[in-house]
Amino acid sequence: MEEKLNLTILIVDDSSVSVSLLETVLLKEGYQVITANSGPRARKLAVEKRPDLIILDIMMPEEDGFEVITRLKKNARTASIPVVFLTGKDDLEDKLSGFNLGAVDYITKPFQVAEVLARVRLHLKLSIATNSLITSQTNKLRQLEKAQTSMLTTPEQLPKANFSVYYSTFLEAGGDFYDVFQISEDMFGYFVVDVSGHDIATSYITAAIKALLKQNCNPIYQPQESMRMINDVLVEILSDTTYLTACYAKLNRKKKTLTIVNAGHPPVIYLPKKGEPRLIDVDGDILGMFKEVYYGQQDIKVSPGDRFFLYSDGLIEKPALKKVWSECLPEVLEACSNIKDTPTQGLALELACLMIDKTCKPEDDIVVLGVEV
Amino acid sequence: MNFSELAENIGLEEDEFVELVELFVETSTSHLERLQSAIDKGNTQQAVEAAHYVKGAAGNLGFTGIYDLSKAIEEKARQNIFEGASEALKAIRDRYDQIVEVLRWKKS
Repeated sequence: MEEKLNLTILIVDDSSVSVSLLETVLLKEGYQVITANSGPRARKLAVEKRPDLIILDIMMPEEDGFEVITRLKKNARTASIPVVFLTGKDDLEDKLSGFNLGAVDYITKPFQVAEVLARVRLHLKLSIATNSLITSQTNKLRQLEKAQTSMLTTPEQLPKANFSVYYSTFLEAGGDFYDVFQISEDMFGYFVVDVSGHDIATSYITAAIKALLKQNCNPIYQPQESMRMINDVLVEILSDTTYLTACYAKLNRKKKTLTIVNAGHPPVIYLPKKGEPRLIDVDGDILGMFKEVYYGQQDIKVSPGDRFFLYSDGLIEKPALKKVWSECLPEVLEACSNIKDTPTQGLALELACLMIDKTCKPEDDIVVLGVEV
Repeated sequence: MNFSELAENIGLEEDEFVELVELFVETSTSHLERLQSAIDKGNTQQAVEAAHYVKGAAGNLGFTGIYDLSKAIEEKARQNIFEGASEALKAIRDRYDQIVEVLRWKKS
């Protein structure tokens, strides 16, 4: 039985003439159309009706298009809806701002109807393709029964990633896991995960994560997009009580940028060659629990010799002292400033030694990744 | 002013186009008045907004004369220049009146 594909498009423009024109031509093509003449109205409709695509005018009084996109992207319910915006012909700046805020495309005004239709079709197709990609990845992972064991990447296997690792598991079915992988010639990904809930074999989850990273971390996707794709699949394959926190850092050595996405995980520590260590705090939902999620993303400029650390909460939590990880961040920052001169290959171990209280038994897995740019 | 040609350019039937033109005429009246008073008072913000509205609506319907004129007013007003704006607005009104005329004829 084939389900009828109903595609809804939300048109947002303060000009009723533009709205009617777009509405007329889109209706003719068989789309469902909803319209809004202001930003707040548009956001309300987007949440209620979940359109498949939004066409958004930039220049509107009160709340302009940039403000609307920003808010749509911050709201988990609307973050994944593709937005195409309408802008004046010569406003290069507007176009760039729109892309930076997460728009997928723009249409210049006055627009040609044929162009509007072509772009609408293209972005709907892309959106459908992405969704079916998620479905097919989910199906593949469901078939993955036996997980390989030794699949933790070692620094020796990938010397160009220039990292060191400390990995200690508390129980044999450890809930922590990391991966380091090459995305392209000068691009590397670093990923640390902490699995909560113990009802599925953790080895299955680690295998699944490994596969998902391979499929979704590539030069085309922004890290926040990769994280969202991974979440969408995990939601389907994990049980209701299992979720993950994770942190993903993508390092581009050529462009000297470090991009960080965080899914409810302790913040990355950035230790510049010259200067004090600091935390890179990025907002983001946990993985595998909610269908609608938001991931912030932070890009920072880095220089050769700079270091950064990804780690699991086991490193900084002190259950014996009843301290949760957020309370222990000053301590770990201090520890980092003491290992400035430690060579790269000793970074992770050194940090772990400084942080772990030898007097009490560890009660959690610990992963530390230390990376040098 | 050939409505059926303009309609074909955007890929609409003529009756659909006529409906949009009616909407254009209806909504533009107040913006043209706002534009006039903004020019008289030298109110930059209001002039830019009103001219921008008229420009957008006219551009999409293929009323290139009105589009070019309101674009010019908007760009000048952004730099706080109102010289020649009244003349440009008068030229817009002439074209606007023509559209109203054609519309009336179409509806009768």
